[in-house]
Amino acid sequence: MVPPKQDALLAQMRKGTLQYCVLALLADEERYGFDLVRALAATDGMVTSEGTIYPLLSRLRRDGLVETTWRESTAGPPRRYYRLTKAGRDALGGFIDEWGRFRDAVDHFVERKEQS
Amino acid sequence: MSSTSDKLVERYLKHLDVELDDLPSNRRREIVGEIAGHIGEARAALGHETEADVRNILEGLGDPAEIATDARERFEVSPHPKSARSEPGWVEIGALIMLLVGGLVLPVIGWVIGVVLLWTSNAWNTRDKIIGTIFVPGGLGLPVLLGALAASSGGGSCVQFGPAGSQPAINTCTDQGISTTEVLSIVGFIVLVLAPIVTTAYLAVRMRRASAVAIA
Repeated sequence: MVPPKQDALLAQMRKGTLQYCVLALLADEERYGFDLVRALAATDGMVTSEGTIYPLLSRLRRDGLVETTWRESTAGPPRRYYRLTKAGRDALGGFIDEWGRFRDAVDHFVERKEQS
Repeated sequence: MSSTSDKLVERYLKHLDVELDDLPSNRRREIVGEIAGHIGEARAALGHETEADVRNILEGLGDPAEIATDARERFEVSPHPKSARSEPGWVEIGALIMLLVGGLVLPVIGWVIGVVLLWTSNAWNTRDKIIGTIFVPGGLGLPVLLGALAASSGGGSCVQFGPAGSQPAINTCTDQGISTTEVLSIVGFIVLVLAPIVTTAYLAVRMRRASAVAIA
């Protein structure tokens, strides 16, 4: 059983990093909302409430990290497709560097502790 | 049981829309629209839809209140309505008074002050502010002004034919009956008097609702 405080921390970490996971998913191809959510939900532990992706996408759009285009769908009503902007690509690149350093630093301590 | 499913979806989206009330309206519309699209896509992907499937889709999206909490954090909108909406203070009370009777005290300017106060306050949402501005410009000042104009242009619709003083002057005073135009202008006058009163009462109720939320 994870103590509640630790639970909250993990939720915050998940929340803070989620936007970069979204940006990373959009790095190679544009996607519509449902497709993005499906891709995120396929990895266990990333998204608890799928609906929270949409406020995030809206915020990313307002911040100019993604842009959107409506496209006709063969299956139903038109879909809003999201793709990275130049600023979004830069933000993702910056995060990837920082994240690598951070992950290695944390690993350095927690993995040594586990072995001893 | 598609009707039950449709009702579930409709109720979910309505609930979400209410929960997202604190967000700017264009953001709220965008998020609700995208989530409605998500539900549509998820339902279309099912072969044979059951009510349980729809319930699972909605549960996967999460509780509207939870999505709204997340959205408020994302948009840095204060999570507590207390600070997002101020207690009804002098701005709100001043707005209500000036909108209603400001035009009587200071023609035009008084009402304009009321509008400025209305839009300054954050006790009302944009829709309420638009309602307060449209119904009715001038407040009670408008019907009073129109009434005064009508009175000064002559009390009754009396038309006298024939030279004044001549014996068989035909007097077509409409004393006995009321003409259609008179009925219409009386009805119009009543509407113009009632509209600002109703609007002010509506704004007062909406403001109290906001402050009740703030206290809760």
